[in-house]
Amino acid sequence: MILLRLISWPYARKHLLRVVLTMAGIVLGVAVFVGMHTANQSVLAAFHQTIDRIAGSTQIQVSSGEAGFEEDVLERVRALPEVKAAAPVIEAAANTGQGNLLILGVDMLGDRSLRNYDLEGTDDAIDDPLVFLAQADSIIITKPFAEQRNLAIGAKIPMRTMQGDQVFTVRGIMKPGGLASAFGGSLAIMDIYAAQKVFGRGFKFDRVDIALEDGVSIDTAITKIQALLGPGFQVEPPSSRGQQFEATSSIYALASNLTSVFALFIGMFIIYNTFAIAVSERRSEIGILRALGATRGQIRTLFLTESAVSGLIGTLLGVLFGIALARGMAGYIGGLLSEVYGVAQGASEVNPEPWLLAAAVVMGLATSLIAAVLPARSAAAVDPVKALQKGRQQSLSDGENRTRRRWALACAVASVIAFLFSNVGWLFYGGYMLAILTAVLLSPAMSLWFAKALRPILAFVRPVEGTLAADSLIQSPRRTSGTITALMLSLALVISLGGLARASYDSLNDWMKIALNPDLFVTTAESVTARSFVFPASLGEGLRSVPGVAEVQFVRSVRLPIKGTPIMVVALDIASLERHAKLPAVEGDESTMYREVAAGKGVIASENFARLHGARFGEVLQIAGPAETLHLPIIGIVRDFSDQQGSIVMDRATYIRAFHDDSVNVYRLYLSPGAEEAKVRQTILDTYGHTQRLFVLTNKDVRDFVNRLTDQWFGLTYVQIAVAVLVAILGIVNALTVSITDRRRELGVLQAVGGLRNQIRHTIWMEAVAIGIIGLGLGLVLGAVQLYYSVEVARRDLIGVEIGYAFPFQMVFIMAPIILGAAFVAALGPAESAVRGSLVEALEYE
Amino acid sequence: MSKLAISLLFAVTAATTLAQDPRQIIAEVQKRQNSASQRYEGTLEVIGGGNRVATKSWTYLRLGSFGDSKARLEFTAPADVKGVGMLIVNHADRASDQWMWRPNIGRDQRISLQDRSTRFFGTDFSFEDLEERDVEQYDFKLLADEGAMWKIESRPRKKSQYTYSYFWIKKDNYTFQKVESYDAKGLVRVVDYKDYAQVKSIWTARTTEVYDMRRNSRTILKYDKLDYNLPIKEEQFTLQALRRGL
Repeated sequence: MILLRLISWPYARKHLLRVVLTMAGIVLGVAVFVGMHTANQSVLAAFHQTIDRIAGSTQIQVSSGEAGFEEDVLERVRALPEVKAAAPVIEAAANTGQGNLLILGVDMLGDRSLRNYDLEGTDDAIDDPLVFLAQADSIIITKPFAEQRNLAIGAKIPMRTMQGDQVFTVRGIMKPGGLASAFGGSLAIMDIYAAQKVFGRGFKFDRVDIALEDGVSIDTAITKIQALLGPGFQVEPPSSRGQQFEATSSIYALASNLTSVFALFIGMFIIYNTFAIAVSERRSEIGILRALGATRGQIRTLFLTESAVSGLIGTLLGVLFGIALARGMAGYIGGLLSEVYGVAQGASEVNPEPWLLAAAVVMGLATSLIAAVLPARSAAAVDPVKALQKGRQQSLSDGENRTRRRWALACAVASVIAFLFSNVGWLFYGGYMLAILTAVLLSPAMSLWFAKALRPILAFVRPVEGTLAADSLIQSPRRTSGTITALMLSLALVISLGGLARASYDSLNDWMKIALNPDLFVTTAESVTARSFVFPASLGEGLRSVPGVAEVQFVRSVRLPIKGTPIMVVALDIASLERHAKLPAVEGDESTMYREVAAGKGVIASENFARLHGARFGEVLQIAGPAETLHLPIIGIVRDFSDQQGSIVMDRATYIRAFHDDSVNVYRLYLSPGAEEAKVRQTILDTYGHTQRLFVLTNKDVRDFVNRLTDQWFGLTYVQIAVAVLVAILGIVNALTVSITDRRRELGVLQAVGGLRNQIRHTIWMEAVAIGIIGLGLGLVLGAVQLYYSVEVARRDLIGVEIGYAFPFQMVFIMAPIILGAAFVAALGPAESAVRGSLVEALEYE
Repeated sequence: MSKLAISLLFAVTAATTLAQDPRQIIAEVQKRQNSASQRYEGTLEVIGGGNRVATKSWTYLRLGSFGDSKARLEFTAPADVKGVGMLIVNHADRASDQWMWRPNIGRDQRISLQDRSTRFFGTDFSFEDLEERDVEQYDFKLLADEGAMWKIESRPRKKSQYTYSYFWIKKDNYTFQKVESYDAKGLVRVVDYKDYAQVKSIWTARTTEVYDMRRNSRTILKYDKLDYNLPIKEEQFTLQALRRGL
């Protein structure tokens, strides 16, 4: 502690900028880790809270995926002695004239035994309960929603329903808190039978919420209800409803973990670099300490403690930045939920959990300590006699370099072996880590080699300055190797992320050309993925008769539990699909599989469903509907991007048989040759647009929508790229600042013997650009390897689709000037500091 | 048992002879109020918080003897509730069947047993209060002879929202004067029967006031054009008839 106060603190104060830059990597790594996880957890917690608020005192919910079920199920459930109260629910998001609302259609008579509406007014009544029940336009909104939009009892809310444009009347306002806080107050209540008409549900309910008699265990009741209703129904506690969102957010959690690990890894090299230089700089100090009796262990501990303290400070700053980042990210992640629920989920409280803070501290400290191990060992190895002799150098790294190269070779061999057996998950990830480790261990040697290769080029550009810059790099690889490694890792991350994004866009475009080829899409919302409203099948018959329409595909998309996860099932006329949008088979016989699926003999699974859920070609899937449980084999696997968790395509007739559901989400229209798209579109709107909610989207509209959705999903990738670039730039600034400080005496001597200020400047600039070039070169090589592994990780564990390897040359063209420019800009300050400082002070340095 | 009592709102009481056994007293009340059919036009005033008053009118029909009757009511005013109707089919041995019809929604809806304790369309009655239950579905105890009135306790033998009720029955004409209904948490409702008059020899309350003690609100029901033993057809008490309206 005394050593820390007397030795370390004055040194840190003297090199404050360096200390700050050194900590930056830790700050960023921890900030990304804490920020992303806190945002994720906060939104997830808010979502679960929303589920709880909507569920009220519901203990069990009965549903049949998103397909809904006949009303008689309610009476069957109510008849069970274990059931105290059962209330039907329709839950759907709707864009109203006053903004998006999650609408709960409930039976106002019985629902209050499950949910507390806590209405405004001196009595707990809706303005008039009888009027509310009597009028189909009645709606209850929340106080926050009402206040934001200045709505009162009697206010009108327009909405496009499946029966055309309607105006709803506010007949109740819920007090804030409880149910009214679900989805930040963007929630409304309407009579369930009115909701059936609004959303086109026919005589079906989405689910039944159940409260049990006192003393009845949930497990017992679930078993009994499941036995009563059969496998076509999901009988589970409300908490199970988060599955879809959890699956979505877990992908973000994984991606953010990778970014954090990379940022910390890069930070580790920056710390290593700084400490390695600090050991060189403080050789005399260490020598004196050793001469005064300090043991090697004390010296080692001193450096490790310094690193731990800076790591701790960096971690704490990172946590603070992380919390700030989380507040911004929570909105973004919450927005993703709108894809699932149609209404964005905000997070009211964004606070990191204790375990996350503990993990952040452990990560930050471990990174700092690991980074300081080698420099601390070097410091402990300083010979006090040599250290106290002026001008006497001690080579500390020869043995280290040899050991490092041996380890690199061992890692490379192990990585190749792991690659050969990469079908085993842990071997694949082990091989991945070993490949990165190989690159890291080889980085100093490669930097040296690159610097030597650059020397003649730099000398050609500027004979004196170029030679001096190259020699500086060659003679002091320890000073720059950490920075170059950090730069290499940053660029590798940027290239892999950029390559992944590019390849994803390319694959999506290829898929869209085939899968989204109808001329027009008749939908219930502006978004083709919205499933709140459904069309009756009768509309399709009408659309067939519209002049210019050659063929109409009836598409029903519902999320159903398959292999324990809610999976998107797309039911449509397979014969028509084969004619117009036949996706190439990844597995299966393309010439027969569509015919067999059309005959109800099987299903076509998407590649990502098969990979993410471990389904094999030929495997028989159980798809249980209220009317029939289907056992259909996978007779084809295609590359399909319809849903992130994968999709199953089945014949519409088979679906209707099992689910008694002939409703339609989207009508896909193919026009007759010569038919005018705009004219057909207008005819449809004129004929049906006034009597029911209906949108007619062109092929371009749908493609633009998918592209926008993809951009949203890749939003985080761009954040990751920005973090990587920022860390890389910080690394360069750090290295140059350290380098100039380290060489103040050398640069002073140069000036003393007649070196011009411009020559000094140019030397430093060229050295900076050279660091950039070497980092770029190594980064490109490692980036190529990293991209391969990223594509594989995406295929195996993220999206389940083989998106192809496409090196992002475009990204390289963008990054090269950024990195070189950043290197040059980073050199400006240190160069000016070097030439403008006092010559006497510089010559006295050290 | 309060259902038994409050149902008298819709099938009004009468009285004469004397008896000391509480079950006999109640049976006598039922006997005296018995009629082949009944019809009236009711006016409801719901006086809620801040003395806000909501007024509605309905037409009520009943056919059959007590405990085995069928009843219909249909709101006639104001305009935004007109046409909303209820069909109640009482059974001597079990809870009644009830359906609601909402013309604007175009759906009839069965009122399930679990919803019977819900307030009846924002009034201070519950759906269960609309039921008639046979005297055999309750246990009775004579608590006090208060001079002109008996105080009788009733406890339901079958599932009910009420744990017990107290009745005050006037000795001279066997009419309910007051009913207090309790659940496990205490007093829920108080019903006062007022303005008795004889209609076709049946003592009939012309006004009933119901107090919801928890919500601190009350509902006043006034009976107009009340008559008994009218020629009412059985076909009027079906779901199809409910959808058609009165």
